[in-house]
Amino acid sequence: MFALTDIIQAVGLLSCFALLATSRIGACIRWLSFQGILFGLVPLIVHHDGLSIREIALASGNVALKGVIFPWLLLRLRARADYNREVQPFVSFIMSILFGTLALALSVWLTMQMKPALKDAPFVMLDSSIFLIFVGLFLIVSRRNALMQVIGYLVLENGIFVFGVITVVGTPLLVELGVLLDAFVGVFVMGIAIYHINREFGSIDVDRLTVLKG
Amino acid sequence: MHASESIVALLALSILGSLVCLALRRPRHVLMTVVGVSAAQMLLACNIWAAVVSGHGFVSAAGQWLYVDAFSAFHMVVLALVFVLSSAFAAVYFGHEAEDVFTAAVASRFGTLWLGAQGAMLLVLESNNLGIMWVGMEATTLLTAFLISLHPSGLSLEAMWKYLIICSIGIAFAFMGTLLAAASIQSDGATASDALFWTNLASTRAHLDPTLMKFAFVFVLVGYGTKAGLAPIHSWLPDAHSQAPAPVSAMFSGFLLNTALYCIMRFVPPVQHALGQQFPSELLIVFGTLSIMVAAGFIVFQKDAKRLLAYHSVEHMGIITLGYALGPIGSFAALFHTLNHSVCKALAFFAVGRLGQRFGSHDMHAIAGALRADRLWGSALVVSVLALIGVAPFSIFMSEYQLLRAVIGTGAWLTLVVFLAAGGVVFIAALRHLIDMAFGTAGEHDRGARDGAFAAPIVVVATALLLLLGIWMPLPLFDAISSAAAVLAGQP
Amino acid sequence: MPALASLAATVCALVLAPLLFGIVNRTKAFVAGRRGPPLLQLYWDLAKYLRRGAVYGETTSWLFRLGPVIGLATAAAAITVTPFGGIGAPASFTGDLIVLAGLLALGRFATVLAALDTGSSFEGMGASREMHFAALAEPALLLALATLAHATDFVSLTSIYRAIDAAAWTGALPTFALTAMTLVVLLLVENTRIPVDDPTTHLELTMIHEVMVLDHSGPDLGYIHYAAALKLWIIGSLLVGLLVPVRSGDVWLDLAAMLAGMVGLALAIGMVESAMARYRLMHVPQFIVGAATLSAVAFIIRLV
Repeated sequence: MFALTDIIQAVGLLSCFALLATSRIGACIRWLSFQGILFGLVPLIVHHDGLSIREIALASGNVALKGVIFPWLLLRLRARADYNREVQPFVSFIMSILFGTLALALSVWLTMQMKPALKDAPFVMLDSSIFLIFVGLFLIVSRRNALMQVIGYLVLENGIFVFGVITVVGTPLLVELGVLLDAFVGVFVMGIAIYHINREFGSIDVDRLTVLKG
Repeated sequence: MHASESIVALLALSILGSLVCLALRRPRHVLMTVVGVSAAQMLLACNIWAAVVSGHGFVSAAGQWLYVDAFSAFHMVVLALVFVLSSAFAAVYFGHEAEDVFTAAVASRFGTLWLGAQGAMLLVLESNNLGIMWVGMEATTLLTAFLISLHPSGLSLEAMWKYLIICSIGIAFAFMGTLLAAASIQSDGATASDALFWTNLASTRAHLDPTLMKFAFVFVLVGYGTKAGLAPIHSWLPDAHSQAPAPVSAMFSGFLLNTALYCIMRFVPPVQHALGQQFPSELLIVFGTLSIMVAAGFIVFQKDAKRLLAYHSVEHMGIITLGYALGPIGSFAALFHTLNHSVCKALAFFAVGRLGQRFGSHDMHAIAGALRADRLWGSALVVSVLALIGVAPFSIFMSEYQLLRAVIGTGAWLTLVVFLAAGGVVFIAALRHLIDMAFGTAGEHDRGARDGAFAAPIVVVATALLLLLGIWMPLPLFDAISSAAAVLAGQP
Repeated sequence: MPALASLAATVCALVLAPLLFGIVNRTKAFVAGRRGPPLLQLYWDLAKYLRRGAVYGETTSWLFRLGPVIGLATAAAAITVTPFGGIGAPASFTGDLIVLAGLLALGRFATVLAALDTGSSFEGMGASREMHFAALAEPALLLALATLAHATDFVSLTSIYRAIDAAAWTGALPTFALTAMTLVVLLLVENTRIPVDDPTTHLELTMIHEVMVLDHSGPDLGYIHYAAALKLWIIGSLLVGLLVPVRSGDVWLDLAAMLAGMVGLALAIGMVESAMARYRLMHVPQFIVGAATLSAVAFIIRLV
């Protein structure tokens, strides 16, 4: 029987490629929400000592935050902010997809380097997490819209979350909750920042934030 | 007061002060609260430092969750010192801002974020758990972001957004590194709940997986290095420093960058155990020299005084990193340089800030004849910039000299050449800028306003420290810095 | 019996290929509320074309006459290499998947040359669009076949498809699912269906494939239509062979399952054509590259 982790990996990878290839922010936010729910289920599937309240709390917290609350925040921001809907990013979509493929190959290679040291972590989840980090970084760097940059940051956080869940057998719950809380406050802060930027500049096109140079 | 209680009291005081500022309604009250809290924290920090140095080398509280050894105590005292100076300067600086610019809302926002950021930095320095340390660093990013755009304008929002995004990515990378470090100690089957305690990771009995620690250190270096302002990930630094109000810039350069570097150095003893001395040294040397070179290049072309100082910060962070990479003598020099640079850079930002207020802009062409226009702050500017570029008899000259000795001692010839060349370039360029700014006839400026009560003491204290440490190293200080360097070498 | 079954499958391909178009058109008409042309329409059309004489323009040369012939020849040759589900191809050898891609490419090359030979600007435009998409679709096809080869550990199409049974699917679900998605897109691209190209458009500026064959007439046109039907059958059998993993020992059962699958495929194409509109021309490359990526992803995760 095929492993549940394989399915999560395949669908998760597809969601990343969808994020790389989509230009419409609303669609990106929904893909992000889907991805958050998908990878939020990882603690329930990859557990070493049996399902306990800890895994359930972590999974439900992550699903709630990244699947529901953040996308809702982002949709509200999108409704308020003014931006050009058909804007082409700095890197064209075909190049983004090709980058995604390269990033996937690179993450598989990195996982093969790290795997001997991390015996308990499933390979597919490990390379998914590294791939998510690459895609998140790429989205931040290559997109013009401030909202897309926040989405990229959340994809990055997703990757790190998955990595944390599978590699570290029981960090104190305090730290994991601290992480989720920081992600929450981080997005909140970014949301406020976007609101200010929109009010000041009349748009959230970060292409205009290029006055300070040198 | 017992030292372990002081540790908790420090944190509590920051949080309390921050909450109090939230409720205050008058700008003057906020500023006084801030100064009061910082003075109290200075006393507590000295108390802890004395306990650490004279006692068995560390103080812990909350069942090993808070742990202060010589390295953290030293940083704590530097933090408290710069903080008290900056808070006093904030009272002077904001005291000169018009009523409708520094409103009650802005003031209470300032007080809350200022003390909150300081509390987060103290958490970073006091925490034994590397995960909590990371949480503290993330909190500083979020809290200081709005300090940059305290007075919202197009440029400050741009700087704030860049800072937020770049440092958030850096912090995310640092978290990856922390996770990898935790995973590396667990590969041996250590218990989970204290996997991230530094005392466990750094002890010689720990079995750490080399591959994981290697990846961990790279992630941590790039991640926390972003917050520390190491090239090539320093790009947020000039913007943030130039757009933030002067006290905030002083705080950034004076202790936020150092805190980030502290986090990187916390990881070095475990990495040294797992992979030997050479690996972390090489990486640190690369980043250090790159920072020095990049900063030197940009300093030549600067037009804005605060951006100039920001690039100086990048350069000095590079110098400190270089020092850490060069063994015990280098670490000593680096720690001494931390103290000197923090005080000196704070003074420089204070001077540029006040002069900017007087002349109406930070552009170096606008600030002309500073010595004539404002005797106090003009001379502060001259002193601080001269000290920054390494003129004797100021303390930075001494620490850079010790660093050079360390470089020659370890035989890193290429580094020596780069260091001297960059130092020379910076010397000439910054001196040229200084002469343009300080001497000659005074440009258009606001002649009125007398400085607040704190202004003269700040300048006198800072200048005295710079001069004193340049000529004479008190023995207690020498011991304290040596024990701090020893912690890094793996003998706590 | 396998040789007889292969022969039967080839005969089915040659005889039944035009029926696919009939089913597609009938489905589209049905969805649109019309009765539509008879199922055997293409057969009558082919007979009509073969009876007529051809008219050749004065600007054309022997390339123009050669184009349709090569197109038909390569399509027929490709039929001999393509397995029909579990039933082997008449000619199978190591590396025949590359030969398949090469034959299809040769056919396309001949068509493009013939189009350019006419000297008409419309046909040149169609030729350039066709080659643009082909440049993206051919690597996609090769990637998809390579992924299947890697997943089943064989390098010959017959062996690959023989190994894809229900057990193989459950063992490698993500890989096969992703490759099937790629093959669906390739089917639409290679056979110029919506959303890549509208086969029923009469505006030359919007055509991609039909405009290349505007100037052909008579038997040449018949060859072209028949070759198009054969191409649909080829790629369709690649796709259906993947999606219908019926590999019982009985070859007639397999054959029947595959034929049912082909009919289902034609119905599905008809539904897709009725439900979607054509993509904007600049989105088609993204579409194809996206499909290629699916295969690349399947390949990479299979490497693990």
